[in-house]
Amino acid sequence: MKKHRGISYAKWGYLFILPFFIAYLLFSFLPQALTIYNSFFDNYRQGLTQIGPTFVGVKNYIKLFTPDKTGTIDILKYAGNTLILWVGGAIPQIVIALLLAVFFTSYRLKIKGQQFFKTVIYMPNLIMASAFSMLFFTLFSNVGPVNQLIQAWGWSDVPIDFFAKKVTVRTLICSMNFLMWFGNTTILLMAGIMGIDQNLFEAAEIDGANSVQVLFRVTLPLLTPILVYTVITAMIGGLQMFDVPQVLTNGAGNPNRTSMTLIMYLNNYLGGSKNYGMAGAISVIIFIITGILSLIVFRTLTKKD
Amino acid sequence: MTNKKSADSRRARIQMTLLRAVVYFILIVLTILCLFSFYMLIINATRSNAQLQGGFAALPQGHFLDNLRNAWTDASINIPRGMLNSFFIAASTAVLTTYFSALTAYGIHAYDFKLKKALFTFIMAIMVIPPQVSAAGFVQLCYKFGLTNKFWPLILPGIAAPVVFFYMKQYMESVLPMEIVEAARMDGSNEFRTFNTIVLPMLRPAIAVQMIFSFVASWNNYFLPALLLTKAEYKTVPIMIAQLRSADYSKFDMGKVYMFILLAILPVMIVYIILSKSIIKGVTAGSVKG
Amino acid sequence: MKKLIAMLLALVMVFALCACGQQAAPAAAPAAEEAPAAEAAAPAADDAAAESGEGKVFNIYAWNEEFKGFFEKYYTVPEGVTVNWIIVPNQGSAYQDALDEALLAQADADDDEKVDMFLAEDDYILKYTNSEATQDIRALGVTDFSNAYTYTVQAASDANGVVKGVSFQCCPSALIYRRSIAKDVLGTDDPAEVQAKLDSWEKFEAVAADAKAKGYYMTSSEAEDYRVFSNNADAPWVDENGNLQFTDAIQTWMKQAKDFSDKGYTINADIWSDECTAQQFGDGKTMCFFGPAWYFNFCMGNAQDPEKGCMGDWAICEGPAAHYWGGTWLLAPAGTDNPTMLADVMNTFINDEDVCSKLVENEAQFCNNQAVNAKYAEDPNFGSEFLGGQNPNAVFVELATKIKFENHTIFDQHCNEKLQENWRQFCQGEVTEDEALANFYKAINERFPDVVTP
Repeated sequence: MKKHRGISYAKWGYLFILPFFIAYLLFSFLPQALTIYNSFFDNYRQGLTQIGPTFVGVKNYIKLFTPDKTGTIDILKYAGNTLILWVGGAIPQIVIALLLAVFFTSYRLKIKGQQFFKTVIYMPNLIMASAFSMLFFTLFSNVGPVNQLIQAWGWSDVPIDFFAKKVTVRTLICSMNFLMWFGNTTILLMAGIMGIDQNLFEAAEIDGANSVQVLFRVTLPLLTPILVYTVITAMIGGLQMFDVPQVLTNGAGNPNRTSMTLIMYLNNYLGGSKNYGMAGAISVIIFIITGILSLIVFRTLTKKD
Repeated sequence: MTNKKSADSRRARIQMTLLRAVVYFILIVLTILCLFSFYMLIINATRSNAQLQGGFAALPQGHFLDNLRNAWTDASINIPRGMLNSFFIAASTAVLTTYFSALTAYGIHAYDFKLKKALFTFIMAIMVIPPQVSAAGFVQLCYKFGLTNKFWPLILPGIAAPVVFFYMKQYMESVLPMEIVEAARMDGSNEFRTFNTIVLPMLRPAIAVQMIFSFVASWNNYFLPALLLTKAEYKTVPIMIAQLRSADYSKFDMGKVYMFILLAILPVMIVYIILSKSIIKGVTAGSVKG
Repeated sequence: MKKLIAMLLALVMVFALCACGQQAAPAAAPAAEEAPAAEAAAPAADDAAAESGEGKVFNIYAWNEEFKGFFEKYYTVPEGVTVNWIIVPNQGSAYQDALDEALLAQADADDDEKVDMFLAEDDYILKYTNSEATQDIRALGVTDFSNAYTYTVQAASDANGVVKGVSFQCCPSALIYRRSIAKDVLGTDDPAEVQAKLDSWEKFEAVAADAKAKGYYMTSSEAEDYRVFSNNADAPWVDENGNLQFTDAIQTWMKQAKDFSDKGYTINADIWSDECTAQQFGDGKTMCFFGPAWYFNFCMGNAQDPEKGCMGDWAICEGPAAHYWGGTWLLAPAGTDNPTMLADVMNTFINDEDVCSKLVENEAQFCNNQAVNAKYAEDPNFGSEFLGGQNPNAVFVELATKIKFENHTIFDQHCNEKLQENWRQFCQGEVTEDEALANFYKAINERFPDVVTP
């Protein structure tokens, strides 16, 4: 019986995943293969003149890992920036989102005005990143309200140039990313918690478990798959961080390129000169970094249960 | 004995009240943070370009209707058209993305076949490729095959969305008991029908969530549409906003820009509110079944 | 939820049908509305277009609507030709990306899809003039440049002097000063006397010290006068061997920028920031700005504010050196199927006195026709309220003839932007000089791998 089922249903499996792979082959695989292929070529434009493609082997990769005069390897510096900017925003994002999701779904707490709060926390995600950055720009500019308050309260005589200092630029980026994405994460986790069989919570309560015990013994273990998803996609999204720092620092990653992320670096090669060679090599590196990190996260999180 | 119990329950009640106070406090702080940017957006939409150049303002300044009229009648952009185009692309993408991701995830989750493991790993691997990477090549190919000023090159790629697939897969792992599927099989239900009539409804919260996300992402997408849609009648909302922002000095009007940004949020908000209701509905339905 | 999904699915079905329709006939659902109008115009068009043997669709690529406005008001489109504007916003280099792709595909494009004219700014015009994508406009019938300003013709010419386009405007940039501050610092607000005290960089720097002593800033941004230097460089950014070089002019600016920042003569604001424009309010403390007619007419909105502004408290003079800022050129793409109309458009905007006069009178432009501009320069009734009655054209006519467009390369825009961006960080003390330069070189090589940086 069992064997029979395995044979007769397999074709459904293939059938169901077929559209995905067709669409993937047509719309993503070709461009991606092109990217990897390109990374072994000199292929860019100088003005309107196309240079290459000429096969150069791993030259682009060597170039990426050649230290500059001060001994810094640029791509590692930007990978570091990206990680810092991601962690700074993602940790509060996931922690707060988890708390909120537990609050919202707890039938003991019975939060009133849930629909209102749920709508409000997701609202920053509805604003385009560029518009969101524009607002922050006015808020924190040298003549903006934040600096006016700082001066009025006597904390500083001269305006604080938030966009010229490493710490403030990074803090702003992290806060903006947090604000834009914590609602999104909350909704994801909430949907996950709501999918859990309510009987389990009731059973736990009958057994005398308190809220904290319920959270750690029932909710979290059952939520693990979704939590793994959240952390991994947050990480992928984080490693692909682009629009907020790009708009906020006008693409320059100020100051001293300390808020330049990997994708901004990639964009420096793509925009204007269409340097598919270098952009391809950077993509492959990002792909490898993300892959390794995802694997680690996946392994550690799923091992626990 | 009874005394101790009532003392316990009183303590529990006090704890609960305290906890509730803390929770409301956190929620209110976050609400203020979230609403503040909206407040600024609304205020800025009531200010003239000259006032906006003058810096920040905390109170509305009475140019709301002017800005609305100016934005609405701007010769270079057609707001209703842009909204319609954006809505069409975003809605189609959201439906295709969620439906096919769920289908694919179900295919991997529910069936045993030889390549299952390999294909799953493959999808997981392609998930980590930055979209910016394929975007560059995709645009190259679109230009090569003359696929500009068409909507479908922006919609159909949504069928293969590894991230949404991963979510559906994980969601199924935590909520979809195979017994239900087996029961349906016993009833002689065809596999495709089982998916559509039994599995899909159980995934309702997940579908609603991913529909919201993909709708919003597509609605706000600027990069690809800006390169592929160049004719006025095909332009989407973000392209029009960018066009207003890069208007020449004599027509440059940030009041219009903020007004349009504000207008552009309304449809996504409506979609969000409608869909977020099904996240809750899904729970009640789920618990009844459970 | 079910209803919603059903609705959305229905939408998708509609889309699918549209997509099929699109493949069958180019004008499908979204374009349907406009189709009847185009068809209605077509029959009448046939004869006229057939006579001239030219295309019926004239495609113009632009990044904003400035020229579209002038074109629609002042140019009469030949009967039977539909003008099609392809407007791609500049944000994220989208305009040049879309234009480049269209130009590179020009040879294979259908006649109605060919680029027939496109607009370019001074910053990147060389990328197009020095390529096969543009063509000689003399051969098309645009031959009279006697009234156009020399630099606008130089800018539109390739390395061999072949002219590829024209500009409909001329953008000489002046030193714009606050009259009240000038009175306080220099003892006069008369343009001629102020000019005499600011006609060299030595004098400019000396006055900056005086201004500082009286509690003013000389400029709001260290990059405000960057173009005055870069326009007058005596060598290109990149030499013939591909080496990046700092010309004397650029080095002088770098020194001055750091000096002004250290001494507090400037506040290091970005030119387009709120902080900079706030200096243009009545209570602003900045004495000098630099810019052409479009800058003070359209971008100094704070100065024109009825409550907080300082309308009329401004005047212009040449300043330390003649220079220009901005300007839009109309370029002739190779392979256009409307060469006659293209030449006609270009001739209209530089040689038609009536049209040029209207640009000056109605649009606050300084047009690209010397005779017309001279007419207004001598007109005693032509004055600017913003400049306290001063006639801007009187200053500009002289200034415009001194402007040079020399030593430009396709690398300029990127070099100029990246130098200012990185040097500001050094001026503000956020990075060391070495770091600023290293970051500048990196930015150059990311865009231009072949340029050799020191």
